[in-house]
Amino acid sequence: MTFYSEQIQKIKKEFYPKDYLAKQVIGAKQYIDRQFADNINLTDLAACAFMSKFHFIRLFKLLYGETPHQYLVTVRIENAKRLLNSDRSISEVCTAVGFNSPTSFTGLFKKITGVTPTTFKKKINRKAIFKRHNYKSMMTFAQ
Amino acid sequence: MKIKLTSVMVDDQQKALKFYTEILGFIKKRDIPMGDHKWLTVVSKEEKDGVELLLEPMGFAPAKIYQKALFEAGIPLTLFNVDDIAGEYERMTASGVVFSVPPTAMGPVQLAVFNDTCGNNIQLIQVM
Repeated sequence: MTFYSEQIQKIKKEFYPKDYLAKQVIGAKQYIDRQFADNINLTDLAACAFMSKFHFIRLFKLLYGETPHQYLVTVRIENAKRLLNSDRSISEVCTAVGFNSPTSFTGLFKKITGVTPTTFKKKINRKAIFKRHNYKSMMTFAQ
Repeated sequence: MKIKLTSVMVDDQQKALKFYTEILGFIKKRDIPMGDHKWLTVVSKEEKDGVELLLEPMGFAPAKIYQKALFEAGIPLTLFNVDDIAGEYERMTASGVVFSVPPTAMGPVQLAVFNDTCGNNIQLIQVM
């Protein structure tokens, strides 16, 4: 067994919860991945993991480094980035990923990505125009 | 300041390019001659405009000692994310890739470690 394999086993044994508990938390995390646009609350998530709210939050943070709520926001913002790369308006995207308030959506989006949804969408549009322009130039050159 | 590139040290750039494209499935992005070596990068098929991986030649002797020590300890030089680690393990094993750690549950992830044939251990991660 290599030094690295020994370290993996050691960390797993000393740091992480037992496999069955980790699986229960992973199940709840995957529920967030699928249902992020719904009105998800902590009580439902803890029930999904078959544990108390307090225990669930503690284990979730231990495994993923953030609270279930922080993770839910991260997933919503990641999906918002994907949807902003379409014809949908910012308020449509806000609702589609599960936020009720455009103000809180904009604030959280900027906190996580560093730019507002408006700036993000403008950047995507500029990139698309640049790509189209380059393609057109190449085709003209090829003729 | 942005992170656009990372690197793995390789003992032979051409051999590395073959392994990283034909076995791992990356795509060659830049191939710029630079004297004895090249500026040789690959990217993921799924993120062609994502972070580039430089297949960095080892022209500096102490780097070889460092690479050897990491390899012998089984420590991965870097890691790549995958969506289906069991599938990748099966596919890569069938292609002759040697794993020092088969897919193993480790808290919120499944991890595996393989030999990239260029002097490195590389880790695969699937976040569950």
